[in-house]
Amino acid sequence: MSLRLFRRLVFLEASKLMSYRGDFWITAVANLLATTVVHWFLMRAIFDTTGAETLGGYTLPEIMTYFIGVNLIGRVVRGADLQMGIASEIYDGGLSRYLLYPTRYLPFKYAQHLGAIIPEIIQMFLFAGILIAILGLPEESGVTWVSIAMTLPTLVIANLLYFLLSTPIQFTSFWADNVWSLGVLLRFTSLLLGGAMLPLTWFPESAMHALRYLPFVACCEFPVRVATGEVTTLGEYSLGLTVGLAWCGVLGLACLPIWRKGQLGYTGVGI
Amino acid sequence: MKRYLRLYLHFLRFSFSRAFEFRVDFWFRIVMDCGFYAVNLILFTLFYRHTDTIGGWTIDQSYIFISGFFLVDAIHMTVFSNNMWWLPLLVNKGDLDYYLVRPVSSLFFLSLREFAANSFINLLIAIGIMIWAIARYPGPGELGALNIVTFAVLIGTGAFLHYCLHLLFILPVFWLHTNRGLAMVFFSMGKLGERPDRIYTGITRMVLLTVLPFSLIASVPTDTLFAGLTVGRALHVTAVCVGMFSVLLFLWSRGLRGYVSASS
Repeated sequence: MSLRLFRRLVFLEASKLMSYRGDFWITAVANLLATTVVHWFLMRAIFDTTGAETLGGYTLPEIMTYFIGVNLIGRVVRGADLQMGIASEIYDGGLSRYLLYPTRYLPFKYAQHLGAIIPEIIQMFLFAGILIAILGLPEESGVTWVSIAMTLPTLVIANLLYFLLSTPIQFTSFWADNVWSLGVLLRFTSLLLGGAMLPLTWFPESAMHALRYLPFVACCEFPVRVATGEVTTLGEYSLGLTVGLAWCGVLGLACLPIWRKGQLGYTGVGI
Repeated sequence: MKRYLRLYLHFLRFSFSRAFEFRVDFWFRIVMDCGFYAVNLILFTLFYRHTDTIGGWTIDQSYIFISGFFLVDAIHMTVFSNNMWWLPLLVNKGDLDYYLVRPVSSLFFLSLREFAANSFINLLIAIGIMIWAIARYPGPGELGALNIVTFAVLIGTGAFLHYCLHLLFILPVFWLHTNRGLAMVFFSMGKLGERPDRIYTGITRMVLLTVLPFSLIASVPTDTLFAGLTVGRALHVTAVCVGMFSVLLFLWSRGLRGYVSASS
């Protein structure tokens, strides 16, 4: 696929998503607000009960910064995952037209996936700016221009990785007609095991070490820790990027046989 | 009443036969909900690795709370959820006409016609988790039969409130022509009800117990199981249920009055 076509697809998808501006902004604000309120009250209750200064290595302001980071970055990583575009096209026969186009299907869908996150990126910077202006950053926070610059490659890998995690699940549509539930299951699993619901330091130590090598952490906790300046050594940074890239390779290779096998059984009129 | 019961039995029969046509999907949804249960149970277990109580509840009490929430969620997914998903589409496409001309309550028909047979299995699993949570509670006998019955009744009212709240976030589709944003607001706000109500303070707590009663869905019923039902709480829950249903009926009739078929 040419770079020009790829870029065109990205912007086309972004403008399509922005056509529902009201819904888009309402959803984003409500989600950030509700999630932050729940985390604030829950964490305050836990810190008050224990009387501890830090829990799992986080003070109360630090853990709140972490959760807000997870919310903002998570939306950029996941994009419009629950719309299950690939699964819908296989189900309703819409895939047929792509098979005739002089282009490859997966890069085409990835361009659309990237387009869907452009509005999320704008929101991420806007909300982060507003929150920092109003609340400020905790004194201990390590957010700097360098940490933000270091986050960008982790976000690119995280986004590609989440797309590749979701793609084989969507390919299940070749054999089953409604795989939306599996997409939701992936969302739950990645949120818990990726550290979006709780930082990994709150898990038992053995689980924490094992989880660091699963793909979910590269999709969530790692980019947030880089952004908040918790990743301080080059070794840790490189390891995080390598784990993410390795999983991209594994999942990319896993997609190919499923795609080929699915295409063989595809009838062109949907299930 | 007998006519409505007979009608509902027909809904059940059609829903089960339809569900068994798509066997793979049937299992996918069950797996999804089991994943949801597992994630939440693990999450609460992780919270309690760092504290003895949350909002005054021990881990055993929180397991009962979360199982109560699963039960309400499973009732909603089984009985109402599919119908809530279809309603905005029917309004936008003008297909509501077919339901308005039938000689039964349109609200009854549109809220209950599709029963999710696959989620029914999850309802049974949620009941199983609740029995497990109550059985592992230290001294389950201390809870008292009366409190357990009250808890069951309040979980029922919690499911009713969940339905009312969900529908209230959908009804603006009659005027706005899209409800996607508001539906997502409902799901976001639902997270507030997934935590014990005693962690909230001030105006947030007041709102969650009255105007947007997400805490009445599972948290207050669980608190009643341990502390018993007072007259004040019984009146409070009754008043909120009556109030929410009155608002719902009012908006439903206003919405139908404003509905102009396919051009809605």
